[in-house]
Amino acid sequence: MNNTKFKILFGIFVIVIISLFSMLNCYNKPHRDIRSSKPDLALNSEYLLNEFLQDEVAANKRYTDNIIQIEGTIFKVSTSDGNSVITIKNNNSESSIICQLLPEDNINALKLKKGEKVIIKGICNGFLLDVIMVRCIIVNNK
Amino acid sequence: MKQLYFILFTVLLAHQAFSQDKYLTKEGYVSFFSHSLVEDIIANNNQVLSIIDTKTGEIAIQLLMKSFSFKKALMQEHFNENYVESHKYPKAKFIGEIINFTDLNEQINETEIRGTLSVHGEEKEITTIAIVDIQAEEIIITGEFTVEVADFKIKIPSIVINNIAKTIKISFELHHKPYIK
Repeated sequence: MNNTKFKILFGIFVIVIISLFSMLNCYNKPHRDIRSSKPDLALNSEYLLNEFLQDEVAANKRYTDNIIQIEGTIFKVSTSDGNSVITIKNNNSESSIICQLLPEDNINALKLKKGEKVIIKGICNGFLLDVIMVRCIIVNNK
Repeated sequence: MKQLYFILFTVLLAHQAFSQDKYLTKEGYVSFFSHSLVEDIIANNNQVLSIIDTKTGEIAIQLLMKSFSFKKALMQEHFNENYVESHKYPKAKFIGEIINFTDLNEQINETEIRGTLSVHGEEKEITTIAIVDIQAEEIIITGEFTVEVADFKIKIPSIVINNIAKTIKISFELHHKPYIK
């Protein structure tokens, strides 16, 4: 009798521990790891910009929240609140793609110069006057 | 051909004269802070777009809700998917006026900003005191105000009702530069 009671109590205890652990795990779930993730889409910067300029709502559905790899020409390298920001812009367009880098790529960003070609991977957040990308990393520059 | 150049030149000049009245930032900072007994939640957004028309003192601010970054990925997910519904309402906007802007001097001023804030498809009149620092090549606006979560019809599930404050503090720091095309 005592033995079965103990077993039941122990069972409940184990279940509680497991659920607590998984809850904590879920609560502390890390942000998506961009570097190891495959991009959902790989585009050139001009194409992505035009998609947003032509139909923002449709482009939001298609690109926002996805990991996108873009290729384009650097217009500006700047910093904002400890993060490097790379602006990709074509000469014939008013709008640009603003890529906020992860801090781990800050040093690599400093090596880049205006006019260089670059490939950047990150999460597309949407469009204000420019396409906004966050949590970006530099894939390579050539 | 010379005529064409002349026309191009005047158009360019006219445009520049026009755009000198506009000060702009694309890297403005807005954060919000929720204090509760259970936890403090802070989210930062460094990609705020803000434009000031120095002729009239009008100010227009826009940001993407998705650009708010939280320490915990789960919080960010809940914030976007369940609370502010970023897929339906991707942007927050503030359109207003810096009171007596044209009378302000080239120094640190304290003045009122009045306007309409729209978040989650709901609009709310906001009046707040802000610090307007006017420099030769920069206009810096800083300040903070509070909003009620309920005013924007943002539904918080009862299970986390104690984790999220009913009144949220919003801080902003916007460094505007002259807009040159």
